[in-house]
Amino acid sequence: MDVSEVRSKIKEIIANVTNIDPAEIADDAHFIDDLQLDSLSLLEIGVDVDYEFRLGVPEERLQELRTVQDSVDLVMQVKGEPATAAA
Amino acid sequence: MTAGRRRVVVTGAGAISPIENGEVGLEGLWSALAAGRDAFLPIAELQFDRDAEADRLQRATAAGVRFDPRDHLEGNYRPIDRTGQLAIVAAQRALAEAGWTAERRTVQEVGLVLGTMFGSLHTISAFDRRGVEAGPKYVKPLDFANSVINAAAGQAAIWLGLRGPNSTVTGGCVAGLQALAQACELIRSGRSDALLAGGADELAFESFFAFQHAGLLGSADLPRPFDARRDGFVPGEGAAILMLEAEDSATRRGGTTLGILAGHGTAFDPSRGTDRGSLASALTRAVGAALEDAGPSVPIDAVSSGASGLPTGDAAEAAALEQVLNSSSGTTPVTAVKSLLGESLGAAGAFQALVALGIIAGRELPGVAGWHQADPDIPALDLAATPRAIPARRVLLTSVSFDGFACAVVLDRPGDQETPT
Amino acid sequence: MSTARPEGHESGRIVVTGLGLVTPVGHDRVSTWNALLAGVDGIGEVESFDTSRHSSHRGGEVKGFDPVGRFRKLDPMELGRASQLAVFAAREAVEDAGLETAGYPSHRLGVAMGTTSGEPGQVEDMDDRWLAGELDRMGAFARLYPSHVIAGHVAAELEIEGVVTMLPAACAAGNYAVGFAVDALRTGRADAMLAGGADAFSRITYTGFARLGAIAPEICQPFDRGRQGMMPGEAGAVLVLERERDARRRGAEIYAVVTGYGLSCDAHHMTAAHPEGDGAVRAMKQALRFAGLAADQISYVSAHGTGTPTNDRLETKAVRTVFGDRRLPVSSIKSMIGHTMGAASAVESAVCCLAVSQNRVPPTIHYEEPDPECDLDCVPNEAREIPVNAAMNNAYAFGGNNASVIFTKLNGSAR
Repeated sequence: MDVSEVRSKIKEIIANVTNIDPAEIADDAHFIDDLQLDSLSLLEIGVDVDYEFRLGVPEERLQELRTVQDSVDLVMQVKGEPATAAA
Repeated sequence: MTAGRRRVVVTGAGAISPIENGEVGLEGLWSALAAGRDAFLPIAELQFDRDAEADRLQRATAAGVRFDPRDHLEGNYRPIDRTGQLAIVAAQRALAEAGWTAERRTVQEVGLVLGTMFGSLHTISAFDRRGVEAGPKYVKPLDFANSVINAAAGQAAIWLGLRGPNSTVTGGCVAGLQALAQACELIRSGRSDALLAGGADELAFESFFAFQHAGLLGSADLPRPFDARRDGFVPGEGAAILMLEAEDSATRRGGTTLGILAGHGTAFDPSRGTDRGSLASALTRAVGAALEDAGPSVPIDAVSSGASGLPTGDAAEAAALEQVLNSSSGTTPVTAVKSLLGESLGAAGAFQALVALGIIAGRELPGVAGWHQADPDIPALDLAATPRAIPARRVLLTSVSFDGFACAVVLDRPGDQETPT
Repeated sequence: MSTARPEGHESGRIVVTGLGLVTPVGHDRVSTWNALLAGVDGIGEVESFDTSRHSSHRGGEVKGFDPVGRFRKLDPMELGRASQLAVFAAREAVEDAGLETAGYPSHRLGVAMGTTSGEPGQVEDMDDRWLAGELDRMGAFARLYPSHVIAGHVAAELEIEGVVTMLPAACAAGNYAVGFAVDALRTGRADAMLAGGADAFSRITYTGFARLGAIAPEICQPFDRGRQGMMPGEAGAVLVLERERDARRRGAEIYAVVTGYGLSCDAHHMTAAHPEGDGAVRAMKQALRFAGLAADQISYVSAHGTGTPTNDRLETKAVRTVFGDRRLPVSSIKSMIGHTMGAASAVESAVCCLAVSQNRVPPTIHYEEPDPECDLDCVPNEAREIPVNAAMNNAYAFGGNNASVIFTKLNGSAR
């Protein structure tokens, strides 16, 4: 899965929680400052990202996610092609 | 009637039902029901989430609401599941009909009493299955918030800013009537001046299959309340909510009175619905209490029954109506809205109330579609498959659950009551 | 806020004449009460399902619970666990009140029960079968799962035919049930009401709270600076309520008077309390108003006190808003039995009745370090003997449902 697929899947997850059109979610959107998410919704997105990509990362890593880009980076780091991750 | 008691009036009502197809408002619902438009569709056309299990459902039809929340809810409705969304749509329509603006709600508290049978069984089961399959860390937090049975009432309170008493009542198919009863008491006792009250339930694979497994579903495409060949109900869903207010404060704010919630009664059958006579006795006691509460001097002009097509439940309704209507049971018109809307569970009692509001507003009494053959084993009632014009001052609402709960509510026409004592 | 004057004192006061409890620290009211006064911790390793994949492993289960002997009419093995707990407690409460020889006709007896999750064990069984490809073996789900069966099973077992209702107001449900019962008696719809709550220890509930990160790892420490969360639990609790004149006429022992209750809704967030405790304050004030009491007449508050960092801080704020700087005892028995969900405020209502009748208040155990944000007298670690003329029971729930109930001494100075 390449980075754009990952990004689009993550935006879909966010849209499912926020009802914001994925096309209107910026690549660097901040969950709290831009999308006004509360802690329950933040948790939901973390869980869904973990579930979708079966990251299996420690809880703390998910709790650190604050932006769309954070989430994309985490997924690529764990799941991306070794070459991509090293790049 | 208790001297000096506050009178509880209906100042608005709203619903989202399987038959409206975009029509909104009480008049639209009343005319659709009077026209005998039913709500039953092939289950493949309905929205509920069947996953891969649809082939387990043996029934061909059910009554489902086809709606897109985007058309009804402005804002982020995603964290709210279907039962909650239905409840909110009905509640916001009731508030609008009653003239309760958002501004007024910030000044004066409105509460909510919601009847439901399941809340959202689908959410609860999906939450659990994901936890078992994928592991407990993968359960969805927003689903957990909706897993409590009072979630729909809580979500509606947040969405609509309802800061008054907020209560959820479950009593199977009588929950909607029980919600009206509880709201009535909260207003009479001075705990609230304005309460939304009604019910909501969703069509879900889990409950649909459970009813089928328990042998509660009918074999025909349409329900057959009171009919000799009835053998079960047809699943439905929806939400219906009434705006109830203390008459004094409704008058002060200039609200319009559509009806008077004059009385209610509740009883229980310890056989849990297995014994027809015992279930009939429970409903008879519930109606007796409701009539005593309302003041028995006004005759009952029509009955909005909860009969759904279940053999024992409908027989108990007929037997109880014969008891309470005495010699007039054969001449008091009875309707059963579940013949058109299906068994909408916790919402059903509130839909019965919407029908009653139509009758006292001078609209036609809907017919019992699907009733064709009188059952010789139950007392004769004045039933008709087609609508009738019935001038009515007082309408009785009755309901029993298949497991022994019974409730009755009395709705009176405004304007022609005795002077309040 | 309603402008109408509370009605109802003309029908006389409503009193509590029977109590039944089954909790993680005792299978009846006496053993539960003694354990609570002794500060016994009922929290242990979860045994009813596998927690090996969960992030926490402890909870407040009712261990060694055998419902069989207590049932006379229904077969307890055919019922869900919440119903078992409810009927078990109801039977004790009825015997304690001497209700079966009170002479009330069965149609004048009623039941109001609260719950958070109803019978979630039925869903768990269904889901296990579903995932095993055996959905067709789902059993009597339609007759055993819907939450109202809990009240129905209590009524059927005790052959009660009057007003029967189920109020699933989540973790405030027990108080809702008590309030409902008071109104049913006050308006003459019943002569005696069983009011209470029941919830069973459940995989669904436990997993949900674990996912929210709300469960404490080892112990539940309400109001302590180092508190790390709540502890899921299970219980059944039932109170018998009657009109005072009826109770006196038949010579029943009276624990307490239910003087008033209050309900409100935060309308703020499904799982988080209002940041200023707005709804909690309104529920307490409404209860005081209906009781005809001033805040300084309350002797003891049974706190919601879940042990989560947020709840206890906001609850402190709300209590201080109503009671000012007065340091009245405010304890949380959830430190000992965990959060028993829909049963919690019913158990705590029973505790308030016992506190009022015995002038003793249970402690908040595991209290080690004061938290400046929870500046309350939480009755740390040791029960206390003090005059309890009036006790207020507070409960807050998912959905922003708040309920407060006030119990007073029968001949106390409070009124």
